[in-house]
Amino acid sequence: MDLHRHTHVRVRNGAVVGRRDFLRGVTAASLAAGTLGWHDLLSAKAADLKARGMACILLWMQGGPSQFETFSPKPGHENGGETKAISTSVPGIEVSENLPHLAKVMDEIAIIRSMNSREGSHPRATSLLHTGYLPTASIKYPTLGSLVTQQISNDACELPSFVLVGNPGRNRTGGGFLGVDFDPFAVTRSGQAPANSQPGVGEDRFRRRLDLLDKLQTSGGDAQAHVQDHVALYRKASKMILSPQMKAFDISEETDAAREAYGKGNFASGCLLARRLIESGVTFVEVVANGWDTHQDNFNRVKNLTGQVDQPFAQLIRDLKDRGLLDSTLIVWMGEFGRTPRINARTGRDHFPRAFNVALAGGGVQGGQVIGKTNPAGDAVTDRPVGVTDLFQSICKSLKIDAAAENFSSVGRPIKVVDGGEAVDELFA
Amino acid sequence: MLKFHRSLLFVLLAGTIVGIAAFGSALSAQEAPVEEFAAGSSSSDITASLPAAETHINSSAALDPVDAASRVDSFLSREAHLQGEPAVLTDDATFLRRVHLDLVGEAPTPDEVMDFVLDTDEAKREDVVAQLLGSAKFGQNWARYWRDVILYRQSDPRGNIAEQSLIRYLEDQFNEGASWRQVAKDFITATGNVRENGETAFYMAHFGNGEEVAAEFSRVFLGIQIQCAQCHDHPTDRWKREQFHELAAFLPRVQVRAVQNDSGPRTFQVQSRENLGRRGRNQQANRRPARGPEHYMSDLEDPSSRGTLMRPRFFVNSKVIPEGQSDERRRNALAAMMTSKENPWFAKAFVNRVWAEMLGEGFYEPIDDLGPDRQCSAPETMDFLCEQFIAADYNVKWLYETIANTDAYQRVSRARRDYTEDAFAANCPQRLRGDQLYDILTEVLGGSNVGAARGRGNQRGRQNQRTAFNTTFGYDPSVPRDEVTGSIPQALYMMNSQPITAGTQAARPGSALAQILREFPKNDEAVTELYLRCLARVPSKDELQTCRDYLAGIDSRAEGIEDIFWVLINTAEFLHRN
Repeated sequence: MDLHRHTHVRVRNGAVVGRRDFLRGVTAASLAAGTLGWHDLLSAKAADLKARGMACILLWMQGGPSQFETFSPKPGHENGGETKAISTSVPGIEVSENLPHLAKVMDEIAIIRSMNSREGSHPRATSLLHTGYLPTASIKYPTLGSLVTQQISNDACELPSFVLVGNPGRNRTGGGFLGVDFDPFAVTRSGQAPANSQPGVGEDRFRRRLDLLDKLQTSGGDAQAHVQDHVALYRKASKMILSPQMKAFDISEETDAAREAYGKGNFASGCLLARRLIESGVTFVEVVANGWDTHQDNFNRVKNLTGQVDQPFAQLIRDLKDRGLLDSTLIVWMGEFGRTPRINARTGRDHFPRAFNVALAGGGVQGGQVIGKTNPAGDAVTDRPVGVTDLFQSICKSLKIDAAAENFSSVGRPIKVVDGGEAVDELFA
Repeated sequence: MLKFHRSLLFVLLAGTIVGIAAFGSALSAQEAPVEEFAAGSSSSDITASLPAAETHINSSAALDPVDAASRVDSFLSREAHLQGEPAVLTDDATFLRRVHLDLVGEAPTPDEVMDFVLDTDEAKREDVVAQLLGSAKFGQNWARYWRDVILYRQSDPRGNIAEQSLIRYLEDQFNEGASWRQVAKDFITATGNVRENGETAFYMAHFGNGEEVAAEFSRVFLGIQIQCAQCHDHPTDRWKREQFHELAAFLPRVQVRAVQNDSGPRTFQVQSRENLGRRGRNQQANRRPARGPEHYMSDLEDPSSRGTLMRPRFFVNSKVIPEGQSDERRRNALAAMMTSKENPWFAKAFVNRVWAEMLGEGFYEPIDDLGPDRQCSAPETMDFLCEQFIAADYNVKWLYETIANTDAYQRVSRARRDYTEDAFAANCPQRLRGDQLYDILTEVLGGSNVGAARGRGNQRGRQNQRTAFNTTFGYDPSVPRDEVTGSIPQALYMMNSQPITAGTQAARPGSALAQILREFPKNDEAVTELYLRCLARVPSKDELQTCRDYLAGIDSRAEGIEDIFWVLINTAEFLHRN
């Protein structure tokens, strides 16, 4: 029996914090294969992975947006339905007539028309497109915002590094095995202050209470670790809500003109909030638009939905560009899958993961291009297929994150930020 | 650091080899009809590999819990407390809050604390343990715990549909003194409407996916994380990829189907997916193979191919069942083998989990990662507890009563030990689960539900309030407890939420605080009452002095008392049990 040292890893927030060594019986083969040593490599590297100043906004279309009625119209084919195509600021690229505002900033947008996966159920696909992994019982994979902020977050910012705007419903993903530190800070309605962020008593009295709390918990001298953690958490939380930076959540500070430029509705104010947050140093903002599951009355419903999304998305690109933030901020527009090419009996489109589209802007992405193709019927990818892990690799590349970096699940299993796939290099040409 | 690790290697060397080699010899392939194995008459030699404890209790029934507890302590003093004396027993007030929270999920009232502290009966601790185990809240508390164990790992959010039926099922089982063996069998063999039969929860949590459910049964009932072998041979364990898929081959014929009903909430049914055929139906006795799906292990090189057909084989004893068995037979066989007395991991996984929840540290950690390649921090104690638990026919209450009566459980709490220190030399503070916190907060703020201030006092409303609260404060109890940390939204809720703000106002008519101000005109007494109410203990001299100084600096007595109340609710001590 060959023996080797198995390091029983103590993990916290997906990183190694301590170890217990025990003996484990294993074969010589796994020793030779180098199953040892991966933690040591990792902890040494962690420090230099914190990148500088990149940020990301995910515009999440819950339900699965129709590619035909957004960035991949097929006006010449019966599968395209009644949706017309319009030209854009980039000669040769057409999008659906539902996106007139985005058409004008096409030179900043890259469309991937050859996205594909095999997951056609909302919960599983939502999880896949958020985490890069299929959901399993044994490992709760962290969502994109958690992955990104764990790798690159701005320590100087007193605001939460990952903010979720809107209501993702029950298909919610979070920090997973990285822990609650990386859960999104949720703002259900973008016009309102975040929940419980305002003290129930005046600020002076609130500070007085915090002083007493500190005194009672730390006077004994050697407080236990869980008390120390608690004291630190309260300091962080109270510092946040008393911080002038919290004004970033208050979109009423914007001028009427600025608000009008984004248009009306929750998604529009969510995009405006996202810009304010990014400007204040937040690393990742996810803005959710619900209602894309158009099994019935697809054309009218999508027209209504694009009406809520088109103008704010386009204005977000312009606004970030005007403020010099577009190069350092990647915007990703996507949902969990696309819709069936065939129009069903209720003029709806059903779930279709085999060929759908994603739009990207900023963050070093070369705008004004289309990546990948589908056949005229729109039911198969014919050129440059892009899988979910390819997309995740591309997001990492834009944000200067090492996609091969490993985090640890709670049983000490190493999990890569992205497992497999290759970045779509043309995006950055 | 590394240098030290290496020296540890040699110290641990001797003890481990024996156990591993012995277990290895048990893993030879055998075939046996299901019934034979289930009847327990098989010649499996798994138990032969257990390290023999020096003193074995040779009895057909278990010891009385109090006697068993003292045996546990003597085992621990021999094999765990090697470097010095363990911590002293904790004081009565701390013990009472601990045992209340652990067994029934609520804190004792100020009156209960005072009565208990002043009680001179020597047997008062064992009496209170027995009394709490007789409370219906025991079942409720642990039903909610197991709801978390199962549903935090759901791979399909529709699993929540089984939540209430799951709690009802477990609550009844635990309160009626059920056998954990029977509970596990119920879960594995469950069928029917998921809103009515809570036993279906595992299947609903994974929407009938056989691979996920197999992995969960192994993790939860055996503490063996064989799912790591789903895609590749396990890097540090003995399990092979085939063994995982052979386990999944017990479950390819379970399915979850929507129940057609026009009225009432949406629901689903767990059932078998197979066609017994006309002949099969009439001639069950012939054991004609039922037609239905089989499990295939995917080909990693060619994921689009069908893969390899797998036969059901249980990795612990390598037993297979005949080909083409019906869903019912497969699941009965799996239930029988998993819960067999010959399978040591079934008792160990439960004992380890309950022990870890009560003491803050398991014999094995993480608490659901056991198996032959893992180190047990006190193997003789573990074996004794398992042997007795089996003798007690896996009686859940017996185990809780035994553990709660040990000195090990009743010691003062200390920060989580470093691995170089003795195991179980002290108890370890535990963060309260969402439900426990919700209940004590409701009690402390004046007996009404958190959120009831918003006029949502009906049952459905209360349920929604609890669910919302758990979304912020709940955690997966299988995650090592030192990885479960507080979050900013939790801190914000405790500091600023409407229920806390309203509940800590003295001006609110009939509020707890108004009453305290009225009935305790002296500040020291009012502060003491607040400590009893919030933390189930009296303040120390220093704490009392700090509060006196604080009150002296504030004009309004009511405001000062409100502040102290708010502060105590916001302490780490309130959020934990010590």
